[in-house]
Amino acid sequence: MTPRHHLDEATIVGYAAGALPTALAVVAAAHLSICRKCRESLRDAEAIGGLLLAQQQAPAVPSTTAREAILAQLSTAQQDPSRKDYEPVRANDPDALPAPLHRYFGPTFSALRWRMVAPGVHRIRATQITNGNLMLLRIGPGKSVPMHSHQGNELTMVLRGSYVDALGHFSPGDVADLDCDITHQPITSPGLACICVAATDAPLRFDSWAARMVQPLIKL
Amino acid sequence: MKVTPLEAKRRVSTTANQSVFDARYWSNQMIAVAQRRDINGFMHIYDYFAPRLQRYLVGLGVNEALGQELVQEAMLRLWRRADLFDPTRASLSTWLFRIARNLYLDHVRSEPTWLPIQEGVAWMDEQEVCMSESMTESYTDQAKLKQAISELSPVQARLVRMSYFEAKSHSEIAQALGMPLGSVKSHLRRAFCKLQSSMRAMP
Ligand SMILES: [Zn+2]
Repeated sequence: MTPRHHLDEATIVGYAAGALPTALAVVAAAHLSICRKCRESLRDAEAIGGLLLAQQQAPAVPSTTAREAILAQLSTAQQDPSRKDYEPVRANDPDALPAPLHRYFGPTFSALRWRMVAPGVHRIRATQITNGNLMLLRIGPGKSVPMHSHQGNELTMVLRGSYVDALGHFSPGDVADLDCDITHQPITSPGLACICVAATDAPLRFDSWAARMVQPLIKL
Repeated sequence: MKVTPLEAKRRVSTTANQSVFDARYWSNQMIAVAQRRDINGFMHIYDYFAPRLQRYLVGLGVNEALGQELVQEAMLRLWRRADLFDPTRASLSTWLFRIARNLYLDHVRSEPTWLPIQEGVAWMDEQEVCMSESMTESYTDQAKLKQAISELSPVQARLVRMSYFEAKSHSEIAQALGMPLGSVKSHLRRAFCKLQSSMRAMP
């Protein structure tokens, strides 16, 4: 899977700086987990952070107390065993969700428990996140999602199926990294329901956004 | 590749291009720590970076006392995980930046979910590192990057600093400066692209 739509560079800077709201960081991590191009950009953004850190004027030398404290710990500190194995990504398992989503939605598509919010539209909200909103959306095939204008940041990654809007064709792995004033009308492709993971950074806006998106569908 | 602190000091004072030298110098110190558990090398790193890490953390809103704890923790991690340091992949300052940022997210923003995610991304990164060609953070790159940072426009420099040194989200920056969110993102995008191309440009 080689994505064609990538994270905004501003989002990569925010991720590297530890400045992204958690919900957006999770979607960014899901994309990073399958996109080498964005991982290389992330490394560059972290190098910028490293240089900024090193370039700071040092306010003082460390205190004698602090130096003695760390020296005392060196002799007792064990060397960490090499990096603990991270759960390998089951890249070839079509039922696996991207690893960064497991904590919020579980490891597989087949175990997801969807809730219908409108005919043809299902949703699962991640409840543990206080900093932004994170949700999975499943939209039936061949549906036209009504135009909506975004407020705040919204980051959406396609996991299954695809959709088309004015910005192009979005397939699994692609992200739409949008900020305010963007108006678009995604149409999901026929045949397969489109499953996305989406994040917004403004808690109050989410409900109005969902309402705008879902209301016209109810009339269908 | 052995560089004693004394030799190093002499060379620091005579080298014209100090940032080139710094990155290589710190890498060598770190290699000594990894291979020989060199306590002097470690303390040399500590004396330079601990105050800078402290300043970075306090800038993010961490109080002095917790900042000191986190600095000690960051430096201990460096000691314990020294064998994971790979100078062809990242400079020591980048490595320490990652450690400090992760400690900040873990302990201060109390976002327990962030760290495992970040470690997962870093893990994947390591798996492919030998196959990739473009991304070694070489020493000359750092000199060019330093130059490029100094050439950012005032507004770009300000947004970069607010991101890295205050960990402000795009929306928070927009609110603080009364600037539209879209402008915040486009300024940051342009700043990053300038800095990135400075690192990747052919000599
Ligand atoms: Zn990408």
